Amino acid sequence: MLRDDTKKYLPLTESTYYIMLTLVEPLHGYAVMQKVEEISKGTVKVGPGTLYGAFTSLEKEGLIIKVKEENRRKSYVLTPKGKKVLMNQIKRLEIMTQKGLSVTDLL
Amino acid sequence: MAENAIRKIKWFWPWQDEQEEAWLRSMSQKGWHLSSIGLPCIYRFRAGEPQDYVYRLDYQTLKKEDQQDYLQLFSDAGWEHLCQMSGWHYFRTEAIEGEVAEIFTDVESKVTKYKRLLIFMAFFVVIEAICVAIFTHNVWGDYPYSWWGIIRVISLLVPLVMGCLIYAIIKLMLRIRQLRRL
Repeated sequence: MLRDDTKKYLPLTESTYYIMLTLVEPLHGYAVMQKVEEISKGTVKVGPGTLYGAFTSLEKEGLIIKVKEENRRKSYVLTPKGKKVLMNQIKRLEIMTQKGLSVTDLL
Repeated sequence: MAENAIRKIKWFWPWQDEQEEAWLRSMSQKGWHLSSIGLPCIYRFRAGEPQDYVYRLDYQTLKKEDQQDYLQLFSDAGWEHLCQMSGWHYFRTEAIEGEVAEIFTDVESKVTKYKRLLIFMAFFVVIEAICVAIFTHNVWGDYPYSWWGIIRVISLLVPLVMGCLIYAIIKLMLRIRQLRRL
C-alpha cells in the first residue's frame, strides 16, 4: 500500500535535493544554506526565501521534522518518509549520471 | 516632516514586485533609503549617503511564533528586514561590487510566492462575490433610511474592487507562466 507514496515528490528540484541531503543530521536554516553551497561545490546557492518555503512544504508533507528551536532558529532533520524519498531520488540521479557518463566520449 | 525624510506616493501592482524592487534600489543610489511604508502606495524615505542597496520583497502571512524564525533566517543570510505591509515583507542588503543577492534562488520558489498571494486574492474574490449577491438583492429595494444612499455608493464600489482583483489574478497567473517559460 505504501509502495508508491514517494513517487509524487519526484523528481525533486535541485535546491530541495541539496537541502534534504544536508538534513541527514539536524541543522538550522543558515547552516543548511552554507552547507548546500559547500557540498554542491558552489553550483547551488539557496536564498532565505527559497529555503523557508522549502522547510514549510517539506515539513507539511512530513519529509522533515522540527527537532529543536534555539535562539529563534528552528532545526530540522529528515523523517523516515523523507529518507525514503531522498533515497529514490538518488537512485534516479544515479541512472541519469551513469547514462550521461557513458556517452561523454561522444560529446 | 523633517528635511531628511520624504514621502512618495507610487502604486505598484502585485505582479510588478521586480519593478518596485528596482525603483527602491534606484532611490537608495540617490541617497534615499526606504524606512517604512504606510498604505500600499505611501513610501517613506530617509536621507543618507548614496548606497547600492538591493531590495527584495516576499509575501508571507505568518503566525507570530513562526515569524521570529522566518526573520532570523533572513537576518542570518544578511538581509535586513525593513518593514511589513499587509503580508509583504521588505528586505534589504548591500550589493557587493555590483553583485546582487537573491532571496529566491529558483523559479519554483518564486512561483510559490505568487501562489500564496493568489490564494489570498481568491479568498477575497469569494468574499466580494458574497457581498455582490447580498447587495444586488437588498440595496435597490425601497428603504426608508436616508443613509441608504451611502450603502448604494458602496455597493457600486464592490464590483469595481472585484474587477481589480480578477485583473490582478489574471496578471499574476500570466507572470507565473512567464517565469516558468524562462
